[in-house]
Amino acid sequence: MSQLKTITRRTFLVGSTAIAGGVAFGTYLTKKPHDNPLAENLKNGEASFNPWVLINEEKITLVVPHMDMGQGVASMQAALIAEELDLDFGQFEISFGVPAAAYFNTALASEAAPFLSADESIPAKTMRTLMSSVFKIMGLQVTGGSSSVPDSFFKLRMAGATARETLKKAASLKTGVAVEQLKTAGGHVILPDGNQLAYTELAKLASELKPLHNNELREPADWRLIGKPMQRLDVVEKSTGTLKYGIDLAFDEMLYAAVKTNPRKGAAMQSYDDSLAKKMRGVSHVIAVTNGVAVVADNTWRAFKAVDKVDCEWSEAPYPAEQADHWAEVVASFIPERLDKVWRDDGSITWSKDSYEIKSEYKAPYVAHQPLEPLNAIIKVTDERVDIWVAHQMPRFAQQKVASITGHEEEQIYLHNQYAGGSFGHRLEFENVLLAAEIAKQVQGKAIKLTFSREEDFAQDFTRQIGMASGLGGVDNGQVVSMDLSIATVSSSTSQGKRLGQATPGPDKQIVEGAWNLPYAIPNFRVSAYRVPELAPTSSWRSVGASTAGFFADCFLDELIHLAGADPLAERIRLCQDEVVKQVLITAGELSEWNKPLGPNQGRGIALVESFGVPVAEVVEVTQTDNGIKVDQVTVVADVGQVLDPVNFDNLVKGGVVWGLGHAMNSEITYADGKVQQRNYHQHEGMRMHQCPQIIVKGLENATKIRGIGEPPIPPAAPALANAIFAATGQRIREMPFNKHIKFV
Amino acid sequence: MEINVNGEAHEVDVEDDMPLLWVLRDELNLTGTKYGCGIAQCGACTIHMDGLAVRPCQLKASEAKGRQITTIEGLGTPDALNAVQAAWIEHQVAQCGYCQSGQIMSAASFLKFKPNPTDEEIDYAMSANLCRCGTYPRIREAVKTAAAKLRGEV
Amino acid sequence: MKSVIKTCLLSLFIVNSMAAENSIGDKTVLNEPEAGSVSTQQGLDSWSRVYEVASHPRCANCHVGNSPYPMWSGPSFTKTQRHGMNINAGASRMGVEYIMCSTCHTGSNSEADHGAPGVKDAWRLAPVEADWFGKSSVEICQQLRDPKRNGNRTYQEIASHLGHDVILHWAWNPGGEREPAPYSLQEHMDDIMLWGVAGMPCPDDINSNLNDGVSYE
Repeated sequence: MSQLKTITRRTFLVGSTAIAGGVAFGTYLTKKPHDNPLAENLKNGEASFNPWVLINEEKITLVVPHMDMGQGVASMQAALIAEELDLDFGQFEISFGVPAAAYFNTALASEAAPFLSADESIPAKTMRTLMSSVFKIMGLQVTGGSSSVPDSFFKLRMAGATARETLKKAASLKTGVAVEQLKTAGGHVILPDGNQLAYTELAKLASELKPLHNNELREPADWRLIGKPMQRLDVVEKSTGTLKYGIDLAFDEMLYAAVKTNPRKGAAMQSYDDSLAKKMRGVSHVIAVTNGVAVVADNTWRAFKAVDKVDCEWSEAPYPAEQADHWAEVVASFIPERLDKVWRDDGSITWSKDSYEIKSEYKAPYVAHQPLEPLNAIIKVTDERVDIWVAHQMPRFAQQKVASITGHEEEQIYLHNQYAGGSFGHRLEFENVLLAAEIAKQVQGKAIKLTFSREEDFAQDFTRQIGMASGLGGVDNGQVVSMDLSIATVSSSTSQGKRLGQATPGPDKQIVEGAWNLPYAIPNFRVSAYRVPELAPTSSWRSVGASTAGFFADCFLDELIHLAGADPLAERIRLCQDEVVKQVLITAGELSEWNKPLGPNQGRGIALVESFGVPVAEVVEVTQTDNGIKVDQVTVVADVGQVLDPVNFDNLVKGGVVWGLGHAMNSEITYADGKVQQRNYHQHEGMRMHQCPQIIVKGLENATKIRGIGEPPIPPAAPALANAIFAATGQRIREMPFNKHIKFV
Repeated sequence: MEINVNGEAHEVDVEDDMPLLWVLRDELNLTGTKYGCGIAQCGACTIHMDGLAVRPCQLKASEAKGRQITTIEGLGTPDALNAVQAAWIEHQVAQCGYCQSGQIMSAASFLKFKPNPTDEEIDYAMSANLCRCGTYPRIREAVKTAAAKLRGEV
Repeated sequence: MKSVIKTCLLSLFIVNSMAAENSIGDKTVLNEPEAGSVSTQQGLDSWSRVYEVASHPRCANCHVGNSPYPMWSGPSFTKTQRHGMNINAGASRMGVEYIMCSTCHTGSNSEADHGAPGVKDAWRLAPVEADWFGKSSVEICQQLRDPKRNGNRTYQEIASHLGHDVILHWAWNPGGEREPAPYSLQEHMDDIMLWGVAGMPCPDDINSNLNDGVSYE
């Protein structure tokens, strides 16, 4: 029995705020709630129970505060509310939350605390609480860090329960039947005689009541939606071309913009010549913007074409122009002055010169996000207000960025969050928002749609961190006894923080994430982080630090296990001290039939990395063919505490494996002359279908905390593949992308 | 010039060399056809011309004159799904969904020639459509289900 | 199924008929040297220029013999590899089995970096017999003069086919940053004629003549 199911009900107070023309019910409280953003615009007879539920006489709207970038959060969050509110899919509309402090992300904050996820010590808890408060004060409404599920799981169900009980109270007042005798189902309050009252009918009356909070949440055994396959709310629209992404919206008299900014990221434009561009058909404006130039035209293609014809003089890059110099800086960072922190130091590592038995070096390159929907934003600036339609993971910051450019008060910036055609961390950045605001400030009164060409998007993408690791190790009597891993990367957190205007004091945990928290009791185990001074700007790339450190750590452990002559799975299980993680390993072994013999050109590798609190084991099987390595099968086992929707879980895990493998195999970003050399997908394509293996997925629910699954499947993919290639060929690949060293089918 | 899209004739005032993609998206507001790369690398814009898959980012508007253009909106609608779309919904293929219009249009064209494709054949037909979310395993299954639907078996 | 193929062939026909109207971009003439006016050595010199053309990526990438896989090689690519995206042109040579070449290679030639080239004709692989990719000068030469493997053409017919086939003209006018095939279409045709009049000599004829005079295998 999962401990999750026996966890005591948390005291989530769901309060209320009286407002003119109705009542905003159930505002989420810790001590003092943020204002309910729905309350401002309530019409007569509308009731908003909290920032997440709005009912009027016509319809029920559930507000989903996180951005849906494909992870299915809109459906998941709606389902959590609907579970307690007794709504069926099809009975409500959803709306993305407006930027508001009330939607602050409670879960991301706790993960930011520098403690192991499983660490429940007093300092760890205290720090998480403190971090949470800081995030609340900042009003940090973030989608990211695989935090949507943990952020929502309790509070959205609580929100649904408050609305339900208040509607029952209203029904009781209306009919004279005691609340205890009322039931709810399918968007109705059901009377003992079988008569039904629609929630929408009760909205007006309910709006006059004090909300009923402190409700008991339902037992898992009673769940109708959670844990069962759901049909995603957007799947029909996404299969018929009818879902409007941000890039698809259109307004009357809308203009279209394109930009070209210095491909040496962050450096200025010295001068430009727009004489050709200005004369081109449909072009209404050519405007200088920060570090570049924008064209406004009457069609996207005309804008693209014209901006291409603007001749620009660019300044030199504020970082090394050539890739080799980036690597040189990384190599030079394993020195005491650049030691960021020793994150783990179990037993005692005492190497005298050459006393170690093995030394290995690993490399991880820059990689781009490049979701398929290019960066875009539609913006309209008038004296009174600014409207911006954009898919953004941090809408509150985006709002501030716009305000800082247009000079409006933040309250005058209306950000309409949109479905995103992927993100992978890309939409945590602000380039599209900033440039759109700069353009619209100069061309006011009309909606302007800014679209990045794919080439511009590649050129300006803030990549994953670049890094290296050096491992020293020793074995004894068939066992791994010493592992000393030094990791040096640039700090993507610091780079990102700078653009956010946020200081990031202290060591950067992302440098070693996935390595320092290996759940193994290696007798002598040290993980040290070295900080490479900032080179090219970097950002959060799906799974962040664990995508590099996880690769380094698990691959090096695999080398040690082979050196010891042990079985890769058995030795990991032996070393594992955490029962939840151990079960993940054991299950992965069973499902993948680890001990079943393979053919002569085949190999099997396993890796386990824990990130975002989720231990994930992957077993990769490969065949060496005449045309190169073929990835045949991947078995994935992850423990997230509670699988909310098995279909979406399966899809996200498979997608994570494809993401992790594809980039590890095929993709890197490199610089020459200060510019990114990869301009479009043919030079950075991740994975295409013909390389996609069979993927077997199993979710376990032994962990005590519920976790998200958007990112954790990525980190183990690369090391499991490298370990499998070693098993099949005897070749150790220690650098991504692997296709620099071996050919793939 | 006159362009026939989804059975309707449209008069558009565009340059001969404007890619059909931008005529569809910006002039006709048929936004189910997506811009992804502009150089036939991603397949997000795939449509049908006279019933066959084609990438309008590589097709000058003038080339569409006198041809029957079908976009995802013309393939089927939420109320009247095409078999391929129905299979995509059944398998819940989409994550972000941005590539799926193109995936569906490619599959619909492919299945006219290969009514009962193997996994390998699907991989040949569909690898030119990029999905950054990694929905490939589901696309494979959905193509097979769509094929069965088109054969009248399910 | 039949109607589909009909539609497909019909669309190709439309493309082809458009091709007939528009293909006069390259005005070429067939210059026939007098019989006996070209020495074997001059013929071999001409051949070596023909070979430069045939083995150039603009031509060879689609002359892949039995393989259904077009190639990506030459200065536009960082390394020699199979056409990306798992493209397989199939036995039809034009991708009908999986994804038609014309899906991306339309009647418009993309000038963009790595955009899809196209001509007003169905983009496709060359016939299986014309197996040039990675082949030596001798191998290509022997194929081109072998009626069983050159479409039963005389050298005049080879040269004149060059003048009429718009997909071949693209090699000299590939657009964008693509490196064109060497010389010009007219020079290439002239070289074929010179080589033909010289008796279609191939570089290792001395050796192969010792073995056989008929089969050029």
